[in-house]
Amino acid sequence: MKIADSFVVAAPVERTWRAIRDPQVVGACLPGCEEIEAVSPTLYRARIGVKLGPIAAKFAAEVEVLEEEPPVRVVTVTRGEEGGRASNLRSDNILTLAPADDGGTRVSYEADMTVTGRLGKFGFGVMKKKAQSLASEFAGNLEARVNEAASGG
Amino acid sequence: MEFVRPDSIEAAVAALQAEGAACLAGGATLVAMMNADLVAPERLVSLRDVAALREASRRPDGTVVIGAMRRHRETAEETDLRDGQRVLREAAAQIANPPVRNMGTIGGSCAFADPAADYPPALVAADARFALAGAEGRRTVPAGDFFRDWYETALEPGELIESVILPPAPAGTVGSYTKLARVAGDFAIASVALALGMDGGACTHLAVAVGACGPVPARRRDIEAELLGGPLGNAEIGRLTDALAEAFDPVDDVRASAGYRRRVAPRMVRQAIGEAMQKLGETQ
Repeated sequence: MKIADSFVVAAPVERTWRAIRDPQVVGACLPGCEEIEAVSPTLYRARIGVKLGPIAAKFAAEVEVLEEEPPVRVVTVTRGEEGGRASNLRSDNILTLAPADDGGTRVSYEADMTVTGRLGKFGFGVMKKKAQSLASEFAGNLEARVNEAASGG
Repeated sequence: MEFVRPDSIEAAVAALQAEGAACLAGGATLVAMMNADLVAPERLVSLRDVAALREASRRPDGTVVIGAMRRHRETAEETDLRDGQRVLREAAAQIANPPVRNMGTIGGSCAFADPAADYPPALVAADARFALAGAEGRRTVPAGDFFRDWYETALEPGELIESVILPPAPAGTVGSYTKLARVAGDFAIASVALALGMDGGACTHLAVAVGACGPVPARRRDIEAELLGGPLGNAEIGRLTDALAEAFDPVDDVRASAGYRRRVAPRMVRQAIGEAMQKLGETQ
């Protein structure tokens, strides 16, 4: 399943890039992210909880940076597995930054996601809506965070 | 896993306060989900011995109270549901198949809140309220606020549905539930719940809720209110379907694409209103 969208952050490209490449910032903005650690500059580990109605899942996820072109483009792959519950997810992600008209930054993302195992039975239609709503929550959090940093000097 | 069978609403609420506790009503959904390893409650609170949840009654003013443990088959045959309230009977009669209708309950189905299920739009069109009981006491929530998002309701942890309450429908109104599905008994591709009253060519009562076209039933009370007192011709119905379409947020799934749902749902609304007008002996 593919999701793609974009949003504008009121901060220049360089500063937005720094926020997006800071695992602590990303971890704090990601809904359900309980912890995140940098194993290396291109590999992160995180624990992420996702809830859809009565179904709750916790994933141990790994995010690997495959390619990056600072400060405009980063390609990552996320792999997650759900402990003994036997669900796996994989998401190939491309994130691009471009200057927006008002001095801000347009952040565009594309993710191609697959979920297998018990959660794969649930049907992609609603899962896609959930992924979209998590992505827009992330965008809102990131925007608030970058704007806060900007106004704080 | 622990299994408890309280025999009163108070005891059921108390048993539900434990971490990982879930109500077991008819089991039509929960047991299937447990089998699929989608949920694993630590404590199952069976509601089958709570007699008060199995009752339905009609008050003198026409209000109908349906206990959360009433089976779909019982609701489909509920003669206390009259006039516009019949939308709920028609919805119950179209759920799945006879074994599931003998097993599943209105409380269980609504608590799960599948966006393609049949009760949510019917209850929203009937202006029903949910009576909830929890550790903090009792409260009622309008159906339109109870269904909140994909599979999410206003139920707080440790709270259960006691009943659904349908207000009296004005005499002479009709209620109908139309469902489009790939095969009989499947979840809806789209569905239309309707309560309609007409008097001498003027609309006296109008409630339309569309199911399976978004996270919660779509309804436009603002436009309905504007159409009251006038005729319901093509232009008026078009205004309503255009407004409803703004509230749609359908999914692509194995049953139909989002685009198909957007195309078919307005036509279903038009058809449902046309058929209801015929029943009322009105011409469009």
